[in-house]
Amino acid sequence: MSALTLEQEKVLKAWAARYPAPIMGLVEALRQVQRWHRCVTDEDEEYLARLFDVPRVRIHEVATFFPSFTQKPTGRHRIGICRGLSCSLAGSQSMCSCLEKKLGIKEGASTPDGRFSLETMECLGACEQGPALMVNDELKGAATEESISHLLEELE
Amino acid sequence: MTKLLTAHFDEPKLHELETYRRLGGYEGLKKALAMGREALMAEMGKSNLRGLGGAGFGAAMKWSTVPPESKNPGPRYVVANCDESEPGCFKDRVLVTRNPHQLIEGLLIAAFAIDAYRAFIFIRGEYEVQYKILEKALDEARAAGLIGACSIDLMRGAGAYISGLDTALLETMEGKKAWPRQPPPFPTAAGLMGRPTVVNNVETLCMAPHIVLHGGDWFVKLGTPKSGGTVLFSVSGHVADPGVYEFPMGTPLKDILTAAGGVRGGKKLKAVIPGGVSTPVMTSDELDTPMDFEGPRAKGTFLGAGGVIVLDETVDMVMVAHNIERFLSHESCGQCTPCRQGSFWHERILERALSGGGTAEDLVALERAGENITGQVICALGDTVGVVTRALMKKFPEDFKSRFPERRG
Repeated sequence: MSALTLEQEKVLKAWAARYPAPIMGLVEALRQVQRWHRCVTDEDEEYLARLFDVPRVRIHEVATFFPSFTQKPTGRHRIGICRGLSCSLAGSQSMCSCLEKKLGIKEGASTPDGRFSLETMECLGACEQGPALMVNDELKGAATEESISHLLEELE
Repeated sequence: MTKLLTAHFDEPKLHELETYRRLGGYEGLKKALAMGREALMAEMGKSNLRGLGGAGFGAAMKWSTVPPESKNPGPRYVVANCDESEPGCFKDRVLVTRNPHQLIEGLLIAAFAIDAYRAFIFIRGEYEVQYKILEKALDEARAAGLIGACSIDLMRGAGAYISGLDTALLETMEGKKAWPRQPPPFPTAAGLMGRPTVVNNVETLCMAPHIVLHGGDWFVKLGTPKSGGTVLFSVSGHVADPGVYEFPMGTPLKDILTAAGGVRGGKKLKAVIPGGVSTPVMTSDELDTPMDFEGPRAKGTFLGAGGVIVLDETVDMVMVAHNIERFLSHESCGQCTPCRQGSFWHERILERALSGGGTAEDLVALERAGENITGQVICALGDTVGVVTRALMKKFPEDFKSRFPERRG
């Protein structure tokens, strides 16, 4: 289950208090729950609606607009591959196929054990080091079959 | 060759306050505070500094449209836009990574200019490393008493390209989905939480300390009469040495390609996208174009945010069109129907052509679609839909003819 602990509620309340208006902390609060639960759950939305004192649909609207937020849990490790033009020229498509093969899943899916999820992403701002990968919060450039093998071994 | 923003990039600890100050950092801020608001605005005005996030709007002009405190009492804000997400652009990432204090100094100068006591740096969520660098730099600056009465706070986006557009950025900051606003009012009149707000790109703000230190006249002379100073180019694609290169405004495109090592692997150049994927393509015959805000415009394209993408002879321009329209379709916020539907159908038609199902009628449809998109939407993303494809069709008709053949019977 994904109930928030008191400690977690404290963190979210801090976001609601940080900026000139409480609601300005919403995107950061959503980033935070996405990190904890690997998605934004119904309970999270309910809690944030109470915290920010807005209708729940306001929270849902934002949670479903931004690509960083998901409604279903991502894998423990979220791997994104950039499909921007520069990364495409650098071979991001074949790196995506390589990841699909090694993980045994299609882009957009998670491994059955919940360890990895794979998605394509728009430009990651690392065009000079394509094909670029986003691994959890970390940008990794110049992906090769070899670097991908190492990466997958390293991630628990 | 004069370099401003990247001048000390070979200093390994440039990101630390001590090094930055040793090299003259925060002297611009000191001078700005000493010279006063009016003199500061005069220097900025003389500099012809243009908005380097892509729009090219005069920076001093933007600052001067903020109503004075006496006419609009209450808080006013400055926001540094570090949401850089245009495919082909990565200079803001490099600027923040290597020299975060330069941005902080520029932001404080802008805040002083418009009498703001609260400033923000809005950074895309994917730039986690840069977020931490900025956090640390802000702590250093605060501890050294440099930030004074103005507070600077950080804020992150959540993966939407459109958040980089000023009014959509403000919506994001206000905890809403990133739908661009239809001006007027412009943000300088009613921006963040309805208050006067200046939103400037990272690179634009980084220029401010240099202008203050050396004067507006000096700055404008570095560039061209209408585009002052220098500009950063993010060079990627089929070049030997991709990276960020700083040049005076008006430098010919070919010099930028040469600096980046030229086309890699002994291949021939086919085309260059000059300013990020939303700027129409240029051919290998247009390499003499001076790269300032005016030069590319004379060729039907834009300097944009300086995201130079180099395409060699092996590239299929239908693939390029598809990649770009798919990007726009994915990033369309959905608010305006012409953009939402137009980008979606561009993507589908181009995808079908790539898998062998294109027809000559499709080409006509692509040509006609633009009439119903550009100018019919709220923001610059929507205005771009189809434009890039039509430029590719015009300049590389052979690529399109083979993907969209006449079908008989």
